[in-house]
Amino acid sequence: MTVSEQTKVGQNYVDGLRERFGAAILDAEWQTADQVTVTIKLGSLPDVVEWLYYKQGGWLSVLFGNDERPLNGHFAVYYVLSMEGIVKSWVVVRALVEEHRPEFPSVTPRVPAAVWGEREIRDMYGLVPVGLPDERRLVLPDDWPDDLHPLRKDAMAYNQRPAPTSDSETYTFVNDATGSTRDVPLGPLHITSDEPGHFRLFVDGEDIVDADYRMFYVHRGMEKLAETRMGYDEVTFLSDRVCGICGFTHSVAYSSAVENALGLVVPPRAQAIRSVFLEVERLHSHLLNLGLASHFVGFDTGFMQFFRVREKAMTMAELLTGARKTYGMNLIGGVRRDIMKAERTRTLALVAELRVEVTQLVDMLLSTPNLRQRTAGVGILDKKVARDFSPVGPLVRASGFKRDVRADHVYAGYASLPFDVHTEDSCDVLGRVLIRAREFFDSLSIIEYALDNLPAGPVLLEGFHYRPHQFALGFAEAPRGEDIHWAMTGDNQKLYRWRCRAPTYANWPPLRYMLRGNTVSDAPLIVASIDPCYSCTDRVTLVDVKKNKSTTVPYKEIERYGRERKDSPLK
Amino acid sequence: MNGPMQTSNLIVPRDANGMPVPLTESEHIAALKGKLLKDIQRSAYVYRVDCGGCNGCEIEIFAAITPVFDAERFGIKVVASPRHADILLFTGAVTRAMRMPALRAWQAAPDPKISVSYGACGCSGGIFHDLYCVWGGSDKIVPVDVYIPGCPPTPAATLYGFAMALGLLDQKLKGTHQVEDEHQRPTLPHPTIALDVRVEIEREARRLAGYRSGRLIADEFLTLVAESEMPLDECMKHRLSGEDDPRLAEILTRLWDIGAGVGRG
Repeated sequence: MTVSEQTKVGQNYVDGLRERFGAAILDAEWQTADQVTVTIKLGSLPDVVEWLYYKQGGWLSVLFGNDERPLNGHFAVYYVLSMEGIVKSWVVVRALVEEHRPEFPSVTPRVPAAVWGEREIRDMYGLVPVGLPDERRLVLPDDWPDDLHPLRKDAMAYNQRPAPTSDSETYTFVNDATGSTRDVPLGPLHITSDEPGHFRLFVDGEDIVDADYRMFYVHRGMEKLAETRMGYDEVTFLSDRVCGICGFTHSVAYSSAVENALGLVVPPRAQAIRSVFLEVERLHSHLLNLGLASHFVGFDTGFMQFFRVREKAMTMAELLTGARKTYGMNLIGGVRRDIMKAERTRTLALVAELRVEVTQLVDMLLSTPNLRQRTAGVGILDKKVARDFSPVGPLVRASGFKRDVRADHVYAGYASLPFDVHTEDSCDVLGRVLIRAREFFDSLSIIEYALDNLPAGPVLLEGFHYRPHQFALGFAEAPRGEDIHWAMTGDNQKLYRWRCRAPTYANWPPLRYMLRGNTVSDAPLIVASIDPCYSCTDRVTLVDVKKNKSTTVPYKEIERYGRERKDSPLK
Repeated sequence: MNGPMQTSNLIVPRDANGMPVPLTESEHIAALKGKLLKDIQRSAYVYRVDCGGCNGCEIEIFAAITPVFDAERFGIKVVASPRHADILLFTGAVTRAMRMPALRAWQAAPDPKISVSYGACGCSGGIFHDLYCVWGGSDKIVPVDVYIPGCPPTPAATLYGFAMALGLLDQKLKGTHQVEDEHQRPTLPHPTIALDVRVEIEREARRLAGYRSGRLIADEFLTLVAESEMPLDECMKHRLSGEDDPRLAEILTRLWDIGAGVGRG
């Protein structure tokens, strides 16, 4: 899509880059009014990203590789920066990597936020980030063949399954502690809610000295699937299934990526309906997290009460979308369902009920002495660490940064909707709980306002054509932070490349720093406070490094200890 | 444990190509399981095994055990360790990395145990069924007794599935069989309206109001037109005069425009 000179936002960043790096800046092209892709020489990558990140108020939202050999004979790496300085826009730094020299200079030593993305590019494309200290795999399973990189266009069929070579895991965990520590492995199977993940806590007595974790037990290969087996509209239903809680947010991000790439203007009514569904998702997700926060401070009555009230939000979702999960509502160009008067009236009644009941519950939670005692000053995310790792959502907002894509890069119907971006300076678990509680009430107001002011007109744009190799970003603020999608259309009615980054992907790397210095009993609470959707474990094995002796403690014991903090199983 | 790929660290049986095959249970265990189901006179403990789900299923299981749906009133309780479990609930499409942790959980549960495939992914692999990093459903790794389909299954469907797993269902359900009459024929919708007109009306209604409300509104409009004795304009004026939903009035007016255009053309 061609963007006229007058509407281009972010020209200042491109001018600054040209002035500072001169000949290293090869090209700048706008995909939408506020999205510019700057192609640079590969060698300047760390300098350019560092300058935009630290000197111009940029945050690294996502980075990814792309196999562009069929298009221009090269691999490419893309670093997406959300510029949140004086001018709010997106700057995507792109550099080409030669096929016979598959390596690029690592940005991680300059900007730590790049660490996971660069490890993932190495897994999926076999491009080596030169200078990246962490040489372990990120996404692919331990026994995946070394030379098979799934996202290379010529690597393999999407359904090829190499036979497993081993029935045991071989991942090595990193411990930066200087003295002797005990190993506390947690997972990968957890009890309380979701997603498997394996944690190693390195402890000295009760105190966590360091922590490491192995994620991606649930890597399924969706990006490859989207490129090979599905059409554009089917991928909206696939992106719903990225996450079982904020799935609708993902499909909004994906469909707006394609809509941005093709320059489609989605009807205002569809945009407003998307905003309503997004906020309904925030309602039930925040209630879930407030419930879990109650559970982990030992306030189980609160947990059950929040889940009881949460069913009202689920009823609202069912009323508006036909199912308790807001799945299957998006298409490229709009939504599949309208809101009529009967649904609007009942939703508004539910909003009123929720406001009353949750006000009482939050008051009850905040006046429980246990909560403040267990959460204040716990799981500190230092502002410096937050700035270095680009976390998102209530996590970064509780460390004093006013980041929210709903306000920073307006999408869907948010330009005309009333809400505040809430921040806290306490940097701890309590701050995150308070922010979620406030955002919940904002969501109620947004739903009310949007339902009272739904624009007229159609809910779906029809009759447009897909053009090959157009690309752009799409984004949406999920309950736990922003979802960023980057989509490039292909020439066979399928995507050429789809990159999807969920908010928790940005929030895991700083978790290590949040765990350090806290006690073992706080670990479930801290992990839950980034709202990764789960937090506990089925078993805990304690390894005493000195005595070479191991004891297995049942999960119930560590969970009990987390809540009661008496009779430590470590003794 | 057979096949050419067998080496010391392989604990799961493989086929001739070195691919893992599902574990099986002996006849003895199956007989024990039958006995358990017939006279289970106590609570049943459930352990969840997430084999790579998207959390949708997990949250719905949560909803099923919390106050509104309250599975515990049937004695169904979620426990923290597979060693306490009677029922194992497998969610997710079984990713490559979760195959062994899931099998270890299955092996840790005491026999006789009931395995449940939960959700579209658990039942078949769902939308991910043939991907490079998944095995395509829990029955590819363990013997499964009950399937609870849905994406995700609702808490009500979850309770139904548990009841089925425990053989409680026969006590609660009265089945009937629908037998089709010899001359029974499905009725066509709006046979008096030309097909292309109907398609045009339905398409516009869907564009304006989505697939569900659009269908209802188009049906209402077409019924009104087909059954009314009055001319279209009069009929619509009459219909819209008492309408208190401005959105419905907007859409009906738009359909009226199209209907009038077709009538003139």
